[in-house]
Amino acid sequence: MENQYGISRVTLPMYVALVYAFLYIPIMVLVTFSFNESAFSHAWKGFTTDWYVQLWESTEVWDALQNSFIVALGTVSASLTMGFLIVVCGSYTFLGRTLILFYGSLAAPEIVTAVGLLSFFTLFNIPLGIITLIAAHTVMGLGYVVPVLHSRFSELDYNLIEASLDLGATRFQTFRSIVVPLMAPALLSVGLLVFIVSWDDFIISFFCSGGSAQTLPMYVFSMIRSGPTPVVNAISTLLLFITGICVTTFLSFRTRMGGMLW
Amino acid sequence: MVKRFREIFQQELPFFIGVPALVWQVLFLYVPICYLVFLSVTKVDVDGVAFTLGRYAEFFQVPYLRVLLRSLILATGNAVLCVSVGYPIAYYLAVRAHARSKSLLLMLLMLPFWTNFLVQVYAWFFVFERQGLLNTVLMRLHIIQEPLYILNTTLAIWIIMLYCYLPFAIMPMYAILEKFDVRLLEASYDLGARAWQTFLRITLPLSMSGVMTGFFLVFIPSFGEFVIPGLAGGDKQMFVGSLISHYFLTAGDEYTGATFTCLGALVLATAALTLRYCMNVMIKRVR
Repeated sequence: MENQYGISRVTLPMYVALVYAFLYIPIMVLVTFSFNESAFSHAWKGFTTDWYVQLWESTEVWDALQNSFIVALGTVSASLTMGFLIVVCGSYTFLGRTLILFYGSLAAPEIVTAVGLLSFFTLFNIPLGIITLIAAHTVMGLGYVVPVLHSRFSELDYNLIEASLDLGATRFQTFRSIVVPLMAPALLSVGLLVFIVSWDDFIISFFCSGGSAQTLPMYVFSMIRSGPTPVVNAISTLLLFITGICVTTFLSFRTRMGGMLW
Repeated sequence: MVKRFREIFQQELPFFIGVPALVWQVLFLYVPICYLVFLSVTKVDVDGVAFTLGRYAEFFQVPYLRVLLRSLILATGNAVLCVSVGYPIAYYLAVRAHARSKSLLLMLLMLPFWTNFLVQVYAWFFVFERQGLLNTVLMRLHIIQEPLYILNTTLAIWIIMLYCYLPFAIMPMYAILEKFDVRLLEASYDLGARAWQTFLRITLPLSMSGVMTGFFLVFIPSFGEFVIPGLAGGDKQMFVGSLISHYFLTAGDEYTGATFTCLGALVLATAALTLRYCMNVMIKRVR
């Protein structure tokens, strides 16, 4: 039976290995060079952790890190709260029929949303900064939160909710002790997803921050533009590391939830 | 009056706690997009605000059309590349890989996917540079004598685009292929079909929806891409995204920018619908 799978028994794994090499060689080079002593040439001079020390001491990096963190946390809490509430309330009211509006936001190219928001903020003279960034990222976040939570919510056993209401629990009690626990894994995993999306976002931040609130990706961009030093490698390595932790956590939730979201 | 108000509020409580998301979505997504469309057809002069389609007409000139076409080619080409390079990977992960290596391989695939794409672009600098990895290796192996100049060329844009968007194509194809019933393959082989026949008549048609999702997940963002052409291509060629960001951020010309953005979006939507139609026709042909 096995050998009937034909030519690709050797070729396919080899091809897969090749593509994974394609995916990882640049990243590995990047990480290696964050420990390179030479600042300008790309030849290997010797091992050093100086760039990490410089990174640690740079106030700009810390500001950017702080901004990124505030924006990502703000985005997660805003989109998770609002998204969850509209999904739950959607089953009682006409709001359920408006949920379709949330499915569209991922279909539009990000740059269109970004310039639209930029002109919108300029029209009302809203100063660009962290608040506008959170507002913009939350729209992106809702585009993930509402579809995921909606599909999860419609799979819930409605009998549990009815039973709870029949046994005299108020709507709020039912929400708190039935709906929230049942939705917790989905909430956690989509929250993490939104965190990564906001943390990584460049295009919307580039247009909607006005340069006053620099996030980490924007800082990396400006450094690449102005002539990169190995400090950029050091930041990139750290970003990789943080993403690695997030992805691992995300995947472990995902497996527990039975593989939703790809 | 106040009591009546409170009654309504309590009856309609689910509405009131559910509605902020809707308001937010409309206010920060649909209103800005409508405003952009509005901007694209207005002009402001001494007489006040007036309706105009003039700026759309102005874009029907060779340089602008070339920018649109260039982005269209990049997006289509990149999507085709990502789907064709990615399909065997998705197939291997979904059908062939053993359970243990599968979760590891999936994680390894997710990691670059969620890594900031600026980091990904920047990583390639070290490979492509004059004294970078690629040139060093090729010169050591005596394949080339002179270092290649890949950075700031179209080739660099294409390779880095493929690199950044590949996981977008693999994921949906993997999701479809994972539900694929392997017994169909056995049935096909038992009935005497060859490997390529099985692939063309069974595997590919059944996974076509994943291929199409993957295609458009790459196609749509690639069209507006401006960071990769800017950083890796040295801003030598204008793409739709770079022109949009030029109008809004450098020139500060919202009106022209809005017109070009809307024109770009129209071209993108038309192209996407046409491509989808062609693909559907092709699928029917094959069947």
